[in-house]
Amino acid sequence: MSRLLELVAGPLRAMRRGVFWWSVGLAGLVAVTVAFWPAFRGSSGITDAIEQLPAGVIQAFGLANFGTPAGFLRGNLYELFVPLLFAAAAIALVNGQTAGEEAGGRLELLFAQPLDRREVVLGRAFAVLLALAVITIATALTQIVMDAVADLAIDTGRLLSTILLCALLGALHGSLAVAIAGLRARPSLVLGLGLGLALAGYIVAALFPLSDVLDPFRHLSPWDWAFGGNPLEMPTEPWRYASLALPAVLLTLVGVEAIRRRDVAAG
Amino acid sequence: MSGTEAVVEIEALVKRYGQVEAVRGIDLHVLRGEVFGFLGPNGAGKSTTIRCLLGLLRPTAGRITAFGLDATRDGVALRRRLAYVPGELRLPERISGLDLIASIGRLRGGFDAARRDGLAERLQLDLRRPLRDLSSGNRRKVALILAFLSDADLLVLDEPTSGLDPLMQHEFLSLVREAQAAGSTIFLSSHVMSEVQHAADRVAVLRAGRIVALGTVPELRGRTRLRVDIVFDGVAPEAELAVLPGIVDPRVEDRRFTASLAGSIQPLIEVLARHRVTSMLVEEPDLEEAFLDLYGGSAA
Repeated sequence: MSRLLELVAGPLRAMRRGVFWWSVGLAGLVAVTVAFWPAFRGSSGITDAIEQLPAGVIQAFGLANFGTPAGFLRGNLYELFVPLLFAAAAIALVNGQTAGEEAGGRLELLFAQPLDRREVVLGRAFAVLLALAVITIATALTQIVMDAVADLAIDTGRLLSTILLCALLGALHGSLAVAIAGLRARPSLVLGLGLGLALAGYIVAALFPLSDVLDPFRHLSPWDWAFGGNPLEMPTEPWRYASLALPAVLLTLVGVEAIRRRDVAAG
Repeated sequence: MSGTEAVVEIEALVKRYGQVEAVRGIDLHVLRGEVFGFLGPNGAGKSTTIRCLLGLLRPTAGRITAFGLDATRDGVALRRRLAYVPGELRLPERISGLDLIASIGRLRGGFDAARRDGLAERLQLDLRRPLRDLSSGNRRKVALILAFLSDADLLVLDEPTSGLDPLMQHEFLSLVREAQAAGSTIFLSSHVMSEVQHAADRVAVLRAGRIVALGTVPELRGRTRLRVDIVFDGVAPEAELAVLPGIVDPRVEDRRFTASLAGSIQPLIEVLARHRVTSMLVEEPDLEEAFLDLYGGSAA
């Protein structure tokens, strides 16, 4: 038991500084952005200006209904920045605990212990999931408090759903990083491919609807699975959570099995 | 001290990385209770062989087992009986030696704290300092403490004394002998002959992925060349010296005679006894010099 606990607790100890700063960063972004809402609410100038923009630009940057509380939050936070930062946090934390450590030769001593490499990677994936949970709670608490402070009057349940979807999208990208790191111990590949696919997913979900030809393909993007139902204003269907969580589990298993089948990188 | 039962069995081991063949068919047995030296220059395939034994690398061909357990298939059970000091030692930076030992201890079912402190004292190491503040030699001491603490049946030590000062190298050799006396088998890899010659019962010499010599230390030493540098009181007796058995590449400059000597030193001593000698230097070549010289042609 202490052995399995150590495989999770050890990485968590190593990540505590990173988790703290990701939490501060995301909570700070939410707090500062929402703090601008009272000033924004009163001014019609910006919303009028946005309405002058082409429909495509409004759609692509989530600026529709920018004058409403939900539209303001979506355009400023939950259309791009918060989900992207969750994905980046998950990818960076996974990379630091797997490919980064392995390529640096720091897993050699650990893999020389009487452990299955799969246990080690699974323990680290679970530790990153717990780290994401901490970041999610910090973000959610800040959002709920700021909702009251700035009088946004958005249903708490909708806020929590939206943030949970961001976290699950992050977890999905973290599991993608686990899979890549399982196949190759190359930190630059994990970061580059992970973040590249995260951005590609956003572009597919945000820009494909502008073209009649491409529009049906937006459903290929996990961003569409997560936010296609407008979670800040509509109840989120349960399948949306599952569409992110299940592939995350599968990708993690791919990474865990892949590292068992290959050579461990020398430092 | 050593039995006849093989603890480590390596058969026709080949490890290829793409086009590069790091290990080209190694066969060897390490016997229970012996200190087995694994010598060779850097890049000879020592660490690759060891990493195959640990299950970190998958052999391209051949078989590698310890205690009858296959390194790839039964790695967890095998590693339960094994402790390892990596050659390229990288440790986590932010934690202390104590934290690392505690963490590995939780993974291995616990370590004896009194013994840990005793080992740290013998190796003169402050385990409370963060690992990033330690010199490479002191970091190696942390890894050595971990290895000797684990009471493993097989200690696999890859370049264990690199970065250690001579006093600590001596302490290390004592620890190896104690572990051997307690019944452990020790697989000691090095590129420095002196590191293993005092401890090893048998030695395999590796070059370019192949074993080029295997035997006891005295047997192997008999096959290496000594460097001889003698200054005589008068003119060097070249005629007597050059014809001695085993003298290679003799050179005379006035009173000074230099040569390499393969084989017994006794005939040389007998000649010297008949002359006045003002200084004499007989040194063992370092491993690269000796073995690359001897086996360079056949092993390439």
